[in-house]
Amino acid sequence: MIKITNLEKIYRTEEVETVALNKLSFEVKEGEFVAVMGPSGCGKSTLLNILGLLDDPDAGSFLFNGIEVAKFNERKRADLRKHNIGFVFQSFNLIDELTVFENVELPLIYTGVKTAERKRIVEEALDKMQIMHRRNHYPQQLSGGQQQRVAVARAVVNNPKLILADEPTGNLDSSNGNEVMQLLTDLNEQGTTIVMVTHSEHDARYSHRVIRMLDGQTVMENLMA
Amino acid sequence: MLLNYFKIAFRNLLKSKGFSLINIIGLSIGMASAILIMLWINDEVSYDQFHEKKDRIYEAWNRNTYDGQLSAWNTTPKVLAKTMQQDFPELEKTVRVNWPSNFLMTVGEKSVMISGNIVDSGFLQVFSFPVLKGDAATALYDNSSIVITRKLALKLFGTEDAIGKNIKIDTRDNFTVSAILKDLPTNSRFNFEFLVPWSYLRKTGGDDEYWGNNSTQTYALLKPNTNLEAVQTKMKGLRKKYDKDEPKGEFFLYPIKRWRLYSNFENGKESGGLIEYVKIFSLIAVFILLIACINFMNLSTARSEKRAKEVGIRKVIGAMKANLIGQFLGESILISFLAGILALFLVQLSLPAFNNLTNKTLAIQFTDPVFWAMFLGFILVTGIIAGSYPAFYLSSFKPTSVLKGTFKKVNAVVTPRKMLVVVQFSFAIMLILSTIVVSKQLKYAQDRHSGYAKDNLVYHFTTGDIEKNYQLIKQELLSSGVAKSVTKTSAPLTQGWSNSWGFQWAGKPADDKTIFDRFCADEDLVTTAGLQLVQGRDFDLEKFPTDSLGILLNESAVKAMGLKDPIGAQIGDNGEQWHVVGVFKDFILQSPFYPTKPMVVEGAKAWFNVIHFKLNGQNNTAANLKKAESIFKKYNPNYPFEYKFIDEEYAHKFQNEQKIAKLSGLFAALTIFISCLGLFGLATYMTATRVKEIGVRKVLGASVGSITGLLSKDFIKLVLIAFVIASPISWWAMDSWLKNYPYRTAIEWYLFLITGVLALFIALVTVSFQAIKAAISNPVNSLRSE
Repeated sequence: MIKITNLEKIYRTEEVETVALNKLSFEVKEGEFVAVMGPSGCGKSTLLNILGLLDDPDAGSFLFNGIEVAKFNERKRADLRKHNIGFVFQSFNLIDELTVFENVELPLIYTGVKTAERKRIVEEALDKMQIMHRRNHYPQQLSGGQQQRVAVARAVVNNPKLILADEPTGNLDSSNGNEVMQLLTDLNEQGTTIVMVTHSEHDARYSHRVIRMLDGQTVMENLMA
Repeated sequence: MLLNYFKIAFRNLLKSKGFSLINIIGLSIGMASAILIMLWINDEVSYDQFHEKKDRIYEAWNRNTYDGQLSAWNTTPKVLAKTMQQDFPELEKTVRVNWPSNFLMTVGEKSVMISGNIVDSGFLQVFSFPVLKGDAATALYDNSSIVITRKLALKLFGTEDAIGKNIKIDTRDNFTVSAILKDLPTNSRFNFEFLVPWSYLRKTGGDDEYWGNNSTQTYALLKPNTNLEAVQTKMKGLRKKYDKDEPKGEFFLYPIKRWRLYSNFENGKESGGLIEYVKIFSLIAVFILLIACINFMNLSTARSEKRAKEVGIRKVIGAMKANLIGQFLGESILISFLAGILALFLVQLSLPAFNNLTNKTLAIQFTDPVFWAMFLGFILVTGIIAGSYPAFYLSSFKPTSVLKGTFKKVNAVVTPRKMLVVVQFSFAIMLILSTIVVSKQLKYAQDRHSGYAKDNLVYHFTTGDIEKNYQLIKQELLSSGVAKSVTKTSAPLTQGWSNSWGFQWAGKPADDKTIFDRFCADEDLVTTAGLQLVQGRDFDLEKFPTDSLGILLNESAVKAMGLKDPIGAQIGDNGEQWHVVGVFKDFILQSPFYPTKPMVVEGAKAWFNVIHFKLNGQNNTAANLKKAESIFKKYNPNYPFEYKFIDEEYAHKFQNEQKIAKLSGLFAALTIFISCLGLFGLATYMTATRVKEIGVRKVLGASVGSITGLLSKDFIKLVLIAFVIASPISWWAMDSWLKNYPYRTAIEWYLFLITGVLALFIALVTVSFQAIKAAISNPVNSLRSE
């Protein structure tokens, strides 16, 4: 599903040049659950941003389902993103002014799904995440675990082929963290490819494969039992 | 999607009530000001544009050279209309309109003084004044027919049908109502309540066929598809063909669409007019609206951090930049809509005062769909202007930085936000300075000595039998102690009704065409008006019966005529030889903003329209007037006693400038208010974002003063930059405006100082309120909250 080859990303300021990704290459197959680990500043988030088509690489190739997307313009990237990729963030990133239902509904609005259909799909997603009873609440009225469940619901509501999770349990206690990891595992078992950036060895154990990064390069790959 | 946008917009509005209020109030005041100005402009540009044949209606104008200067004016000889009609086949119709006449109209026991016009019979075929009853085509063709407005019909006949009814004019002439017109629109140069046919002027001896008497207005209706240039060429040659005395003079046709706004002429050519004010006020409307929009832009971008996360999330889940621009524009249009509704209320509330100020009867046409369409368009445009910059700014955030928390506000030396504050204050400073200069010019002219004593001086037109009984009235006014002195004149002392270049005196150069104001008085003019005699004496018919052919000159006239020894000099005018009996210091007959002109006052042999009398200051004014009324009623029983005070009439000369001063003051105040509202909002936000810094500084020993200074200095710098930008522009603008007035004040340096200090003070008060509040707060709270 994902094939990156010699991917480079360099951040430049007036004084400093930081190499975030240094000729990085790897592949993620459809249906895989991959964890990306490494110390802070190793390029994990940059990688995730590029995989999520939120940022573009300076050099190298990025094939998504066999299509070269590294040089896609903003419009094409947004289009590909909204139909194929779901995001889960450490800090949930829900819109405070929208209710649970409205937050989950948002991706469907951007993909142009009709109102009645939207209602059905959102309710299904909320049901699946066991958060239906909170549908009319605002994010600040929910616990961290509940907020992340809403975020996961939002990420999957469009049936994306790929979910990118950026330290999804980073702001949760262990019990809520486990719940979220179980949700991701379930999604993976239903066929969704998952790439997760994490610092947690515990969370990484839920994945099939761990890619370890240092200074913008892959230093090791472990298959999980 | 739209619903989602509006949902978010509403929730954001409610969440940040303070900022929403600032935005809505600022925008609504800006929009209300713009609507008021647009109503005024619409009224001005619509003047006389309702006539169906407006594309073919022209007014005849004169052009001739006097004192080496080409002059153009719109009074023409009465014989012109007939001549044009007979010589130019291109004309469908020509009509004359005489100066407004005040007639006493009597129906049964009811008598009222009413103003109207004597016109040629084709008037209603040229101009479109809707006829409610009667036939416009024939209404003025009978010598004894009269056309009246609905208002006058109600006044004279109540609800009865007035058609065919009799009206007696000036207690002697009977007219029959032939048509009733809808009340005249206010946006017309015509302001009559009745029309009577030209034959009445002939009957009362007011008509003549003298080419030298430019005394009426002549209008022409061209046939469709006429070549105007060909007619203009023929018009040019008319005087040469018919006027033996003035063959070099020219006529030209001036189109109806330019009457109201462009009819100032300088050296024979159009030189602007009211259009200048239309342009200035359009600019003010645009700027005030822009200033209000700038508040919205500034506050929206200042609070961008609050929206950054939302932008990032929306982009991550698939929103295109266009979606976000649409969303933010939707929000600004929603705010603009709310502000627009509030603005309508404000306009409706302020219209009576605004009408009073502008002397108009402007109203919002609530039932007119065109108004609503324009209003919605206005809301849309305002929303788009206000929202465009924030929309592009906010939608350009990169999700990778805003969601990771690495997003930082721009704090560059020159940011669009700072520039916008500078624009706001530049405009505010320009308006403050303009208001100060206009007020100074007004005061300068008001302080100018008029040259006569205006207090207790009253005038009354010689209506009805006043002329006949003048001596009796004068005697009784004096003997009863009501008046100290009485004089009969050709016009009120505040108005110039006649001028001429035809005066003759010994030694006058053949090519001299100096124009002299012509005024007439029987006797006691100097005493009654309080003029200052410099040579000779006042008219005194008792001691010097030959004073009926006497003349008084002002000093400018003596100079213009080059008379070394004016007393006794012979001056020819209107076929009579007059002799100079006195010279007085110039007084202001017309505009106090212009130099006085040479003036000739002719004695009792001349013509008279007005009585002036100086009330006895030792009596109570009301008692004086009551007694005066009984005397006038005794000798002129059919006419109302309608007096006017000269000082009040003189004050009217400043009306225009007073209006400008008030309007510029009003808009300056509104601009400052809106700008300060924005500044207050910005200061509030900026202070809130620096709470931690303030806390740390206080802990380290900073004083309230130093923190206030720290928070205020950025804004003060911007106001100073605005002052530097606005000063030369204001100086240039006001210098150009002052050039309209030959008698004008100077723009001194200290005016800039006052304006700068004022702007700085206002800005400082606005900003320091928040700064002081932050500076005196307990640092423990702000640091704990971190």
